[in-house]
Amino acid sequence: MEEKYLTLKEAIVDGEVESGSEEMQKLIDSGIEPAEIFSNCVEPTLNDLGDKFASLEIFLPDLMIAGEVVEAIQIVAEPYLKAGAAEVVNKGTAVICTAYGDLHDIGKNMVNLMMQVNGFKMVDLGVDIAPKAVAAKAAEVNADLVCLSGLMMPSLPYIEETIGMLKGDSLTQNVKVMVGGGPVTEGWAINAGADGYADDAAGAVAKAMELVA
Amino acid sequence: MDNSTRLMDIIERSLTGERMSEADFDRNSIARGVKKIVKKYDLKFPKDSVINNDIELADRVYQAGLELLSESGVYSKDTGRVIRFSKQEIEQIVRNAPSTLTFGKGDDAKVECAQDLENPHTMLQSGGPVGSPIPEEYYMSCLTAYMKEPFIDTISPCTAETVRGMDVRTRSPLEIVACWEETYKVNMIRKLVGRPGLSYGGCEMSVSEIGQLSAAQGSQFQQGDTHTFGIISELKTDNGILCKVAHATMSGGLPDPYGNPIYGGLGGGDEGQAVLIVAINLALIVFFQGAACGSSPTHPIYFNCTSRNVMNYTSVGFQALANNTNLMTNLVLSPVGGPMTKTLLYEIFAYDLMATYSGISRMYGPRSATGAISGHFSPLEARFSGEVMRVAPSIGREKAEELVQKALDKFEADIPNKPYGKPYWEVYDVRTMKPTDEWLAMYNEVKDELKSWGFPIDQA
Repeated sequence: MEEKYLTLKEAIVDGEVESGSEEMQKLIDSGIEPAEIFSNCVEPTLNDLGDKFASLEIFLPDLMIAGEVVEAIQIVAEPYLKAGAAEVVNKGTAVICTAYGDLHDIGKNMVNLMMQVNGFKMVDLGVDIAPKAVAAKAAEVNADLVCLSGLMMPSLPYIEETIGMLKGDSLTQNVKVMVGGGPVTEGWAINAGADGYADDAAGAVAKAMELVA
Repeated sequence: MDNSTRLMDIIERSLTGERMSEADFDRNSIARGVKKIVKKYDLKFPKDSVINNDIELADRVYQAGLELLSESGVYSKDTGRVIRFSKQEIEQIVRNAPSTLTFGKGDDAKVECAQDLENPHTMLQSGGPVGSPIPEEYYMSCLTAYMKEPFIDTISPCTAETVRGMDVRTRSPLEIVACWEETYKVNMIRKLVGRPGLSYGGCEMSVSEIGQLSAAQGSQFQQGDTHTFGIISELKTDNGILCKVAHATMSGGLPDPYGNPIYGGLGGGDEGQAVLIVAINLALIVFFQGAACGSSPTHPIYFNCTSRNVMNYTSVGFQALANNTNLMTNLVLSPVGGPMTKTLLYEIFAYDLMATYSGISRMYGPRSATGAISGHFSPLEARFSGEVMRVAPSIGREKAEELVQKALDKFEADIPNKPYGKPYWEVYDVRTMKPTDEWLAMYNEVKDELKSWGFPIDQA
C-alpha cells in the first residue's frame, strides 16, 4: 500500500474514528478522488481484516471498531463522490436477520460486520423476525440481497416462508436470498428456494459478492 | 430471601434498570468491557497445556468475571433496560447457592455434588443428544436406546424434526403439541425401560417459552426433572426466558439454565472467553435462579467445543468457578465427529478428561456431529463417555493432560474435515436398538488403544 494511505489504514485497524475522519478529509483535500481512496486503501485494509477474522487472528470487537471508522469516513466522503463513484464504495444493500423464533445473534452479527466492512450497506433487523417484516423491509429499502440466519430447526420453516414471500411479491421477486446457520445445508437451501448458502462469515461475503455481481 | 421473592426482585430490576440500546450494551458493556477487564487483570494464557495448572491465573479470571458481571449486568431486550446486581449481592447469592442437587426420584435418583478440583469425583452424566434433530420415525427407537444405557444418570433427549408429519414451528401451536409429545414419550419410555424415576431435562422442543410453559407441568413433569433453557449470548435475556424462570420458580421446579459464549465473538479471544464463562455462569445463578449452571463454549467455524484452545479457556474459566465458589457446573460435550468415526471417540475422551480436572460436576451429551446434523448421534458414544468419566478421576491431572495431548494428536487435524460420520439408523439396528458390529468394533478398538495408553477404561 502506498505510504500516503498508511495513516488512514492505521486508524481503521486501531478503531480511531476521529483520526480516521480527519485523515480521510486530508486525503480528499490533497486532491485524491474518494473512490480512489476506497479502492487503494479502505478496501484492501478491510479485506485484510476480513481474512484475519476468518482465520481468527482478530475477533468481532476488532471488526466492530473498524466498522465504526469506515462508517465515519463514508460520511466524510459522501459529498465528494461523483455520480457513479458511489458504486465503488457501496456493493449493494442487504437486509439481514435471524429467523422468526430464533434468538441467536452472534453468527448473524459476524456476517453483518464482515459484509459491512466489505462495502455492503447493511440493514440489520435483529433476531426473531417474522417473514412479513423481512419482506416489508426488503421492499422498503429496495434491497439487493436478503441474508437469513437460523440456528434452530423449528425456525427453518419460517426461513422457507420468508423466501416464498420475497419471491412471490413483484416488489421483491428479484432480491437475492442467502441463508446460513447450524442446521442449514446447501441442499436444504436450494430446496427452500434460496439463491445462495454459506456456512461461515467469510463464505457469506464471497457468496454475497457473487450474488450481486 | 426465598426464590419467589428474588424472582420479583429480578422482574422489578428488569423494569426499572438503566435504559440502554442493545447495540450500546453489546459494544460498550461487553466487547469493550471484556477487553478492558482482560487488560486490567493482565490475563494471558500459556499455550502449552490444555488443562490449566496455574490456579492463581484461574483466581484472577474469577475476579475479572465477577467484576464484568457487576458492571455489565444482564440486558433485557424487551424492556431495553439493564438488570444489575452489585458485586456484594452477586457474592452473597452465589455463597448461598446449593452445592448438591438431587435429580430424579426413587431408585433412579442421582445426586450431583460440586466438584473438588484437587480430588475430583466422577461427573454425573446428563446423557443424550441434547436437542439434536432426528426424523420423527426414529425418535422413539433412538431415545429408548439412550435411556437403556446404564451409565446415563439423567436424560437429555433429541428433538423430532416433525410432529405427526408436520414441520415443527417455533411459537406456534405445533411447538405446544411437539412439547407435549416429547414429555409423553419420555414418560412412557422411562417406564418401559424400567427407570421410572430417571430425571429428564426439557423441554428440548421448546425453543420459545410457549411449549415449555404448556407441557412442563402436572403429570408431564415429575419430581427431580429439570427445566432446561438457554440465555441469549452474551449476557442477554428477554421476557420469554424470564417467563421460563418464573414458571420453574413458581412451580417449584429445578431450573437448569445455560449460556454459550462464542469464541471470537463479543468476548474476543481465549482470555475474554474465560472471563465470559465466569460472568455467564454467575449470572445463571443470580439472574436466572439456576439450581446449577453450565455452558457449551463454541468454536465459530466448526461449532465444536473440542478444539485445543477452546478446551484450554474452558478449563481456566471453570477452574476459576470451582476454586472460588461451591457451584455445580456443567458442560455440553459437542464434538465435530459423528458415529462410525474414531475422531468422535478421541474428542469425547479428551473433553471428559479436561472437564474432570477443571471443576465440572455434570456433563451433557455427547451432542455428536456438533448437534446440528440430522440423526448423527448414537447411544454408544454416550456409553463410551460414561466409561471415560468413571475412570478419569483415578489417573491424576498430570496423566490426564498427557492423555489429552495424545488424543488431540489423533483428532485435531481431522476437525476441519468435519467428519460427521453416519446417522443413528445406519449405526444401530433401529428395531433391536443395538449398535452394528462395525460401530461396536470401532468402539472396542479405541478402548483397546486407550488401555495401551495407560487409561484403564475396562475398570469403568
